Formats: sequence, structure tokens, C-alpha cells
Amino acid sequence: MKQRVSDALALLAASALLAGTACAGDKAGVGWQETIVAKSGKAKTLAELAKMYDSSSCVECHQEQHEQSRKSIHSRSIYGTGRTAMTIVSAIENGLMEEPYSGVKSPKDVKVEHLMGCTKCHLPQLADAEDSVAQELVTTLYSWKDALKRKDKAAAEKEEEKLKSISINCLVCHNRNAITHKWQDGYPKAGVVYGSKDGDHPSDKFPKMAASPIMGESIQCGQCHGMGPNLELDEPTQCCTSYGSYLWAYKSEIGQERCQDCHMKKSKLGHNIQSYRDPAMADAAVDFRAETFGYYWRDGADIKPKAVVKVEMLNRSGHAIPDG
Amino acid sequence: MFNQEKIYMPVPQQLGRGDRMGRGPYEKSGIIEDTGLPPGKTVHERFDIMFPTEEVEADGKFVNTPSTYDLNIEVKLWYLPFGTPNADPFLWREFSKTVSISKGGK
Repeated sequence: MKQRVSDALALLAASALLAGTACAGDKAGVGWQETIVAKSGKAKTLAELAKMYDSSSCVECHQEQHEQSRKSIHSRSIYGTGRTAMTIVSAIENGLMEEPYSGVKSPKDVKVEHLMGCTKCHLPQLADAEDSVAQELVTTLYSWKDALKRKDKAAAEKEEEKLKSISINCLVCHNRNAITHKWQDGYPKAGVVYGSKDGDHPSDKFPKMAASPIMGESIQCGQCHGMGPNLELDEPTQCCTSYGSYLWAYKSEIGQERCQDCHMKKSKLGHNIQSYRDPAMADAAVDFRAETFGYYWRDGADIKPKAVVKVEMLNRSGHAIPDG
Repeated sequence: MFNQEKIYMPVPQQLGRGDRMGRGPYEKSGIIEDTGLPPGKTVHERFDIMFPTEEVEADGKFVNTPSTYDLNIEVKLWYLPFGTPNADPFLWREFSKTVSISKGGK
């Protein structure tokens, strides 16, 4: 009997060790198994990725916010105005394919890790997808580009719609990226919508709501709007730098307003988050004053009449203009 | 007659090293300098534009006199998202005024 107990204990110990090894193999923190990707597994197709973060049910109750966000370029973050999509193609051809150690000789070699230099911000949920999704995204980008070249409007629009099917939508901000300090505040959980309060949420897919510690803070936007080079990547990229400017130039010397104060509240645009393309935002951002006068300048006996133009510009935003 | 441009922007450093400017996000890592408009600080610009003159003879002497007494001044602040006036430009602010100088005097 004594021998049997020992065997049983040994077996239990071995089980605990195996379980521990399985957890540590993915992430160090506690609770990541409750995230959307951990529950559903990585997406294998673009359609699966779109479904994983499908926000279409939000519109049933949040019509106003849906209409607002639809107008924001966040809602087509991979396509942008077309220029974003074209820049990702450039990043593949002029970046990855020219970098000798990237492992990319042709677009067919592109993996999720290769695209994160762009998609860290333009499609952060791509990190929750298999390399097959990176390939499908690259194929779609090239099909779109080829259709444009052929002037095949119908084909280009079809690919454009596919690119627009994945974006920074409700669930990216209100779930996946709603918590930055996951070891302090916990990992965002599947079935929970993060916003300003805790409680029940009348939705089958998201039956709970919880207060995000950062939803009203600038760091929520700063996750993508940039501090400078993304040094955590094997090949750092740099796109936006406005959050860095906000921290070191605005907060340190000028004021205390948050991104949301100007871009959502004062602008009254809500989830239609805009910058210079909105006339009111553009108007509020920069004071511009110019004056001019003329006089006869004399250089000895030489008379040289001239006009003087003086210009004053004051950037009233919370970051340098332009960004980049 | 006179046209001068000033560019306001962060100048990205190519691969975070050396003296070359980077262009695409994939090669930008750092800033060489930032000529953009900083928050909360007034940026002043001044342009001195000489009136065109011509040499004319008066009382047996050659003197320079203005060939025009009026200049139409235009100042435009553009936002160029892609860095050139041909791609998606946005006219942010503009100013125009005619500057005149006197025709008489000593």
C-alpha cells in the first residue's frame, strides 16, 4: 500500500510538471488563456481572423458609435486611402525583399512576423493568425495592385473590400488592446467588452463589460501612434511618432489634455477619430497669422524697394505637426 | 517673381544610423532633425522680397526705379501627406495681400 501511494504521488508530480511546461511555452503571465485568441486558436484565413474580431453585432445597440467609427480611417486601417495598402507593398518589395537576412526573396516568403512592422498598428490582430493569413493578405494586396494596373475596376474593388474586411474595429480597442499592462491589470478576456464600467452586457457573444484602466488615457492611442522606432521587432520600423512628441514635448512642457479630449470630445466627433481631414480639427490645430508691408531700403545711394512678409504659426495640438 | 518654400517635418534617419534620411517606414528608425511645428511654441518666418527695378535716365543721371509699385503677396501653408504637392495635398491656411510702395518722395 505504501508503495502504491508513492507511485501515485510521483504520477501527480509529473502531471503538474507537464501542465506547467505547457503554460510557460506560450506566455509568462497569468490569465492569457482567457483571451479571444487563446480560446479560439489562431486564425488560418482572413475570413477567420475577421470573424475572430467580428464587431458587426455591436451595431445593434451602438448605432451612433458605429456610424462614427465607419467614417474614421481606423475602419479601413490596412487599405487606408489606398496609400496604406500601397506602402505595405513597398515595405515588402523595398524593405523585406532587399534585406539580406529577412528570409524574404519573393512575396510568397512573407510570414506574420515579417508584416508586424506594419500590422503592429495597422492590424494588430494579425499576431493572432497563422502565417497562412499573412500569405492571404499579401496575395490580396498584390491582386488589388495588379487589378489597378490592368484598370480592372471591378476586380480592384473586390480586393479592396477584402482588405477592408479587417481593420481597427470595436473589438480591437474595446477588447484586444484595451489593457496594456497585462501583468498588473490582467489579460483582456473573451466575452468581455472593455469600456468605462463593469457589469452585465446584453450580448450573447460578449455578456460582460469591464472598465478598462486605459480607455480614456492617451496610452490607449499611444499603443499605435508611436514613440519612434519599434525596437521590439527584429527589423525595427518607424511610422507615427506623435505619442512620443505628446509625452516629451507636450506633456512635459505644455499641458495635460489627453488624445481623447481633442480627437473625440472637443471635436464632438466621438468615434469618428480624425485629424487634418476634418475642417474643425484642422482649424483648431494651428493658429496662422501673416502681415506684410513695403518700404524703400537704401544701400548707400542704391535704392532697393522691398516687401517684408512676416508669418507666425502656433501649433495648438498636443504633438508636433506633421507626424511621421 | 519670387517663390520660396519652407518644409516643416520630422526628418527620419535611415536605419537609425549615419547622415541619410529614410523614407519608407521599413527604413526609418530615428530622427536626424525635426523642422516640424512643435506643440505650444510659435514659429516665426520672415521673407524679404525685393521689388523689381529698372535703370532709367532722369536729369542726366541713371537711377534705379521700381518697375512696379504693387506686389501681390500670397502665403500658403500646405499639408502634404505624401510629401509632394501632387499627392493628396491639403491647403491648411492662406494669406494674400497687395503691398504697395509710394510713387513720390525724395
